[in-house]
Amino acid sequence: MAVIDTTQSVLASSQQRPPIWRNSGVLKWVAQIVVLLLVLGAFWFLGSTAIDGLAAKNLTPSYEFIDGPANIQPSEGIDTAPSSAGRLLWVGMVTTLQVAIVGVILSTILGVLVGLARLSNNWLANRAASFFIETLRNIPVLVQIFLWFYVMSNTLPDLEAGEGRRFFILSQKGVSIPRIFYDDGFYQWLAFIALGIVPIVLARRYFNARQAAQGGQNLAGPATLAILAVFAIVGWFANSVMSFLGGIFGSNETAVDRVNEGGIAGAWQSIPQSLMQLLLTLAVFGLAIGFIIRFLNSRRTPAGLAKLTDDDYFRMIFAVVAAAFMTLVFWVLWPGLSSWIINSGSDFWGWLGDKFGDDRGTRPLDGMLPTVSDGRFANYGPTGATLTVFRAALLVGLVLYTASFIAEIVRGGILAVAKGQTEAAAALGLSRSQALRKVILPQAFRVIMPPLGNQYLNITKNTSLAIAVGLSDVVQVGQSVFNKNGQSLAVFTIWMAFFLACSLTISVIVNFINGRLEIVER
Amino acid sequence: MKNTKLFRLLAVLFAVTLFAAACGSSETADDSASGDDGAATDDSGSDDSGSDDSGSDDSGSDDSGSDDSGSDDSDTETVDVAQGSILAQVQDRGTLRCGVSGAAVAFSFTQADGSVTGIDADYCRAVAAAVLGDADAVEFIALTAAERFDAINTGNVDVLMRNSTWTQSRDTAVGMDFGPTTYFDGQQLMARASDGFSATSDVSEIDSAVVCTNAGTTTETNISELADTLGIGITLNTFEDFNIVTDGFIAGTCDVITTDGSALVGRKAEQQPDDQEWVIFPPTPISKEPLGPVYAQNDSQWADVVNWTVYATVILADEYGVGSADVDDALANGAPEVIRILGGEGEIQTAMGLSADAFYNVISQVGNYQEIFDRNLNPVGLSRDGSANASWLEGGLMYAPPAR
Repeated sequence: MAVIDTTQSVLASSQQRPPIWRNSGVLKWVAQIVVLLLVLGAFWFLGSTAIDGLAAKNLTPSYEFIDGPANIQPSEGIDTAPSSAGRLLWVGMVTTLQVAIVGVILSTILGVLVGLARLSNNWLANRAASFFIETLRNIPVLVQIFLWFYVMSNTLPDLEAGEGRRFFILSQKGVSIPRIFYDDGFYQWLAFIALGIVPIVLARRYFNARQAAQGGQNLAGPATLAILAVFAIVGWFANSVMSFLGGIFGSNETAVDRVNEGGIAGAWQSIPQSLMQLLLTLAVFGLAIGFIIRFLNSRRTPAGLAKLTDDDYFRMIFAVVAAAFMTLVFWVLWPGLSSWIINSGSDFWGWLGDKFGDDRGTRPLDGMLPTVSDGRFANYGPTGATLTVFRAALLVGLVLYTASFIAEIVRGGILAVAKGQTEAAAALGLSRSQALRKVILPQAFRVIMPPLGNQYLNITKNTSLAIAVGLSDVVQVGQSVFNKNGQSLAVFTIWMAFFLACSLTISVIVNFINGRLEIVER
Repeated sequence: MKNTKLFRLLAVLFAVTLFAAACGSSETADDSASGDDGAATDDSGSDDSGSDDSGSDDSGSDDSGSDDSGSDDSDTETVDVAQGSILAQVQDRGTLRCGVSGAAVAFSFTQADGSVTGIDADYCRAVAAAVLGDADAVEFIALTAAERFDAINTGNVDVLMRNSTWTQSRDTAVGMDFGPTTYFDGQQLMARASDGFSATSDVSEIDSAVVCTNAGTTTETNISELADTLGIGITLNTFEDFNIVTDGFIAGTCDVITTDGSALVGRKAEQQPDDQEWVIFPPTPISKEPLGPVYAQNDSQWADVVNWTVYATVILADEYGVGSADVDDALANGAPEVIRILGGEGEIQTAMGLSADAFYNVISQVGNYQEIFDRNLNPVGLSRDGSANASWLEGGLMYAPPAR
């Protein structure tokens, strides 16, 4: 009896919990929370100090100017007479994106070509590529942009006076080529082509099955193209049969008319706000619960659920907290969000509905030639697609500068592929270009992709040099905006949010491609 | 075992939520408090100016200092003012930090040897002479149009003499104050005569032209609004640096450039190539551009120093004709107001926190308004006669309050 008593007391003492100030589980959490509070406190302190300081200077940050008048016009872009400052900033953002996207594409093509030339056995190509790289990457990009601006404005010809339409205009104001734009029937034409998906799927299935059964050439690809061509050609003339879609989508009227008009836009408009709030709440909780279930499943071993760490609990709790916070946002903090979703969803369907209808023209695409309206001034055609000297200087400067870096990255990536691969490809009888395309480059791209992403980020950020050559990008129009109203901090946050969004998007895309290129390990 | 752990975590979660809620409410409370503070700041500002008007005793700086500490007790918002006037900071530092353009011919233009010349640069020197007794104790800081107001707001420059237009929104929303206008300017356009322009051309003739100007200025707003009003379409390219604007104009990429008329006159005088003829139009400027000093908001002591430096140069030039050559003579046996300004009696300047001979230093080292104007603006073909910059005695707008 006494023996049993002692063993029990030993057991009890070993199971006794340590005091709370020595319990490592508790201490870990206390440390986490203290750090969280310190970080939040620091942000709160910095933010409130900044706001107080600005308030003392009568400069309380405010975003009201976004709805105010623009007062200035951007040099070029999707809208040269914006109705509000917010619209003006949007025009600038689009111009920035255009330059960035075109710059990324052109610099990649040029960079890969120069990088290959740098490795070429041809002495001339090799030396020329070295010269290109060493010159351009060692000159600051701003200097290059200025250089191209001066070169283009001073060496391109004046436009000879006179009026008329031309196919190609090159002058010191820029270069203008014929422009193709979509016309009234464009969306109906697209819808008509979309009808072709059904026969394409059927045809692909048939040809794939036939090749699997009988061998020989797979005709799925050519068949797809042929069906698409047939639908595009027939749809060019017959796209008005799709105009019935206008009635289904609804129309772009005011909210009340839209409901009466019916269609998807009307149905969307008549969703009550509380229902939308409920749906959003269910959606976020569904996501949170789905995440927890998937997470627990991933921790399930054949022997049962693995032991969960504090970190695992924290993830699950965070999912629930985030869902709860979003619910708070939907119902209390920002109830307007639901009605905004309802309205903009309805707007979208109404807008789509407007693109269809019996009263629309049926020509899907149209084109215009550059036109010199007055030989004295309009030195490039306002009705053609025009690349102005200002945009060209920025683009050429950025592309050449970035291409010189990309060329070196490509060269490094190719050299990183073991020499044995080239020799093995040669031994298999592949030609040099085949070896490059099918053996070397696919492996080189694994090395190339991450630094290439950095270059894409750089070219996007460097577009802010547009102000040097008078192109209305987001930075330039933003400067004009805050020079009028003094809201530099507000404009800076808009710039930061915009460039952050661009950079993160590029990162996501590059990481996705990177993931696809990785060696799959089994 | 696991249950207790979960329970503990839930308790922690609850604590975090409580904290978040508390944070949210405290933030809103703070917002309302800062609103009150803003009102308090305004009140203390008006107190300041009131005491300056009535303050007849010698200790001008002490006076405003006690005022500031008074407002300091009531709230912590007025730290900026409580740190002391910019005047005290400049006197401690021994140099005046003056924001200029560096690229505005005849206003503030950086010469090849690094010196800065122009009417704006001379008024920087005048303020330095008044505050520090040495017209050369100036640190010129070249600013772009887009940077200049942030430079004032952050205190990077003490005073901005950067041909800045006095507008309602800048005076109110942008958070700074404007001094007396030193040059009444107006926006004009410049184009090539070979494109069919003359000095009497109308703005509507620039239809479909490529117009270039500075980014972040009133000129881009003016020309945008005018083009909209006239119903003409222009391509407006705005550049950070006005040197690039004129280079684009010389090359022909820009058909028309537009900015303040005085700057165009200066550029035409300096840069017009032999094979081009440039014309400036329309005869009546398309906007009012009163240019003058700019300084931080709510510092009336510093504002008084800058303002009266300008007024002293105007009074002595237009009403008494006292220049740098005859300033000693005028101090000895001039009119009573002249003697007051030049420090013969001493009370007025010391009440402002300056030495008695502050404006004597200005006139002797830099000159009066007429001398500053003639030195900088006559060479590019601008004259006071018949313009808005003539004295009020001759039908112009240059007018200073009496010094007594």
